[in-house]
Amino acid sequence: MSELTLEQGRAQSQDAPKASELTLERGLAAFRAEVDGPVAAFFSSCVHCGICAQACPFYLETGDPKYTPILKLEPLRRVWENDFTLWGKIKGLFGLNHKVTDAMLAEWEELLYDSCSMCGRCSMVCPVGNDLALMIRKSREGMVQAGHAPEGLIAASVRAIQTGSPMGLQWKTLAVQINHVETSSGLKVPVDQPGAEYLVLLSSMEIINFPEYLEAITKIFDHAGVTWTLSTECFEATNAGIQIGNKDIAAQLVERVVAAAETLKVPKVISPECGHAFTAIRWEGPNLIGRPYPFKVFHIIEVLDELRASGRLKTEGMETDRLSMHDPCNLARKSGVIQQQRNLMGLVAENFVELKEHGKFQWCCGAGGGVSSNERAEPLKMAAFKRKKAQIEEVSPERMVTMCATCRTQLEEGLEEFNMEIPVVGLTEMIAEHLVEKN
Amino acid sequence: MAARNPTDKTLGESLRERGVSRRGFLKFCAATASMMALPPSMAPAIAAALEQAKRPSVIWLSFQECTGCTESLTRSHAPTLEDLILDVISLDYHHTLQAAAGDAAEHAREQAMAANPGEYLVIVDGSIPGPDSNPGYSTVAGHSNYAMLMETVENAAAVIAVGTCATFGGLPGANPNPTGAMSVMDLVKDKPVINVSGCPPIPMVITGVIAHYLTFGRLPELDAYNRPMAFFGQSIHDRCYRRPFYDKGLFAKTFDDEGARLGWCLYELGCKGPTTYNACATMRWNDGTSWPVEAGHPCLGCSEPRFWDAGGFYNTVSVPTSASGVNVLAAGAAGAIVGGAVAALAKKQTKTAVAHRQPVTVEELEAKL
Repeated sequence: MSELTLEQGRAQSQDAPKASELTLERGLAAFRAEVDGPVAAFFSSCVHCGICAQACPFYLETGDPKYTPILKLEPLRRVWENDFTLWGKIKGLFGLNHKVTDAMLAEWEELLYDSCSMCGRCSMVCPVGNDLALMIRKSREGMVQAGHAPEGLIAASVRAIQTGSPMGLQWKTLAVQINHVETSSGLKVPVDQPGAEYLVLLSSMEIINFPEYLEAITKIFDHAGVTWTLSTECFEATNAGIQIGNKDIAAQLVERVVAAAETLKVPKVISPECGHAFTAIRWEGPNLIGRPYPFKVFHIIEVLDELRASGRLKTEGMETDRLSMHDPCNLARKSGVIQQQRNLMGLVAENFVELKEHGKFQWCCGAGGGVSSNERAEPLKMAAFKRKKAQIEEVSPERMVTMCATCRTQLEEGLEEFNMEIPVVGLTEMIAEHLVEKN
Repeated sequence: MAARNPTDKTLGESLRERGVSRRGFLKFCAATASMMALPPSMAPAIAAALEQAKRPSVIWLSFQECTGCTESLTRSHAPTLEDLILDVISLDYHHTLQAAAGDAAEHAREQAMAANPGEYLVIVDGSIPGPDSNPGYSTVAGHSNYAMLMETVENAAAVIAVGTCATFGGLPGANPNPTGAMSVMDLVKDKPVINVSGCPPIPMVITGVIAHYLTFGRLPELDAYNRPMAFFGQSIHDRCYRRPFYDKGLFAKTFDDEGARLGWCLYELGCKGPTTYNACATMRWNDGTSWPVEAGHPCLGCSEPRFWDAGGFYNTVSVPTSASGVNVLAAGAAGAIVGGAVAALAKKQTKTAVAHRQPVTVEELEAKL
């Protein structure tokens, strides 16, 4: 989207009547707006080989051919064929084309939201290089505007805009956690400190489910002498707009982070341990708001590895358990952060075993891309997890390590569901436990 | 040839005899490491291994082929990796390159086999009329290709099939395959077979495989077609310098249109880059001068199985090759018309659609709950 249309968009959204409707017409218009050069090239060059199906845990674990990734794109493909190709127009003249109807979109809602985590494994294996995950993301733009998004994701988006967090958390909840961290660690958690090196963002999941993460970075940054801060203006970097597939909501959420970072004049921002939050703020953000950031964005794992490389991270003792690791798709496959977590594991784990397919080839845990915020998708989410489970069984570790709050929750829930007693730990917390004590 | 005893000297010794400096040798090792996609820290390890490596005996067999593979290997600019490797290995038998002829030539092969049992490498170019074919279709010194291959391979350490004929049957194996041509891996089952496909293959890939074998004492990691991953791990399409045009949907429609002049993607002119795995786009040809796509021609897919039979060179990859000729022509014509119209249509319509896109507000979303 160009800057001009974005501004027009904002002006319109302010003037727009409060409860205008999300309709099929708007949805089709949004689909059309998403058809660009790559989409046209991808659809016209698909060779129907079906390799994308073999890369998708949702297809493999259910065996149902309707979960073939390319089929999930049928609404977008039809809009492209009917409205953008001469052949489609000719067919249209004779009434031979297959129109996209409301019923079709209702049917496809499950395929586009419940059975896809946008993990990008299909994009990676496509022999003609078609980016299917990107097209799912684009299709969701049309789905939202046609009023066919899952309730869970709509509610999360509304809460994100209205309260600042998709789970409806407010600063006072985080304040309580900060208090706990300060009491147990004896360290100060810096808040609203202008000019700090890093602005640390969190995800609601970390605040509620994994508060040990905040304690871990408090300890590590104190140990390494890093200046950092939280912001009361914006503490949450997860982006429900990206998951539901709406660039207007997504852009508003990114603007909040940018405003907070600008107010505090920080040169670097740390994304939370949440996969899609990282890709949203790191890769999509500047495109969404139509201008470059005045700061750099890192994942906490990248920061820790930098500290390690420069000798500022001193650890002692090793984990003796047999440990294995799950690479979050957004971090490893989509962002290329693969060696960093292995370097960190090397610091503290003496018995590390890789899953057979790892790094950019790893299998998705099944919960990303909004699947975990969508209650209806629970059975599919667990089905997709079976692929991860099989991988874990193959190397039978004593504990699993990961670095994404969503993956971690899914691993914990999945392993419990299948009665596997394998605890899951966060890499950052594990590093914090091995820091050399200060004298 | 009988005077050369290939096991006498190490590679390091023979290189120094040839006046190759230590520095030059290390440079070669570093180049080899990078070529094989190994970390630069491997260069000293390669150097150490090659220093100590015995000059391996190599027997090169040529069967139903056009000598293009050998040409590819020899037509290189001195001094190159190819020269270096071919001079330091002991190439004991090669129809085209050896000075000996007749009986003496055959004795050289037998001698090499007897002197290095279980240790010599066999390189094969060309396909072989199978055991059920008339043995007279292709013979060398009165032996059928099949008999010669099986006899030579029996005590070999490994077999390197060079070129698409040896790896997948190639042109001799194309429909209707009158000689019953088969590939090396169809016939040799009890020895490691590594395939260096291509018509012809990239010379550096052949030397890279040999260097890897000498350094580590084993063959490199292979893909599903027994090809070394280091060179065949990525598609032409993924590494093509025209890829950005594909991603933007900018395609040349004919060989002399504006798009072709501007260097746009050749996909619609039948480029097989998306389904072809080889290192052309990164290593290029003729000492790194150019490669087919850079010369303006679509990739033919020469390093893939059945490349002669897999449909026309100028059919787009997505045209089903199982359709009848008429259908293919019709589909091709329709494709060309559609293709021509798509870019213009898409550009205009996307512009309008983006301009008319209505942003979503949180109130509208809330109304859905």
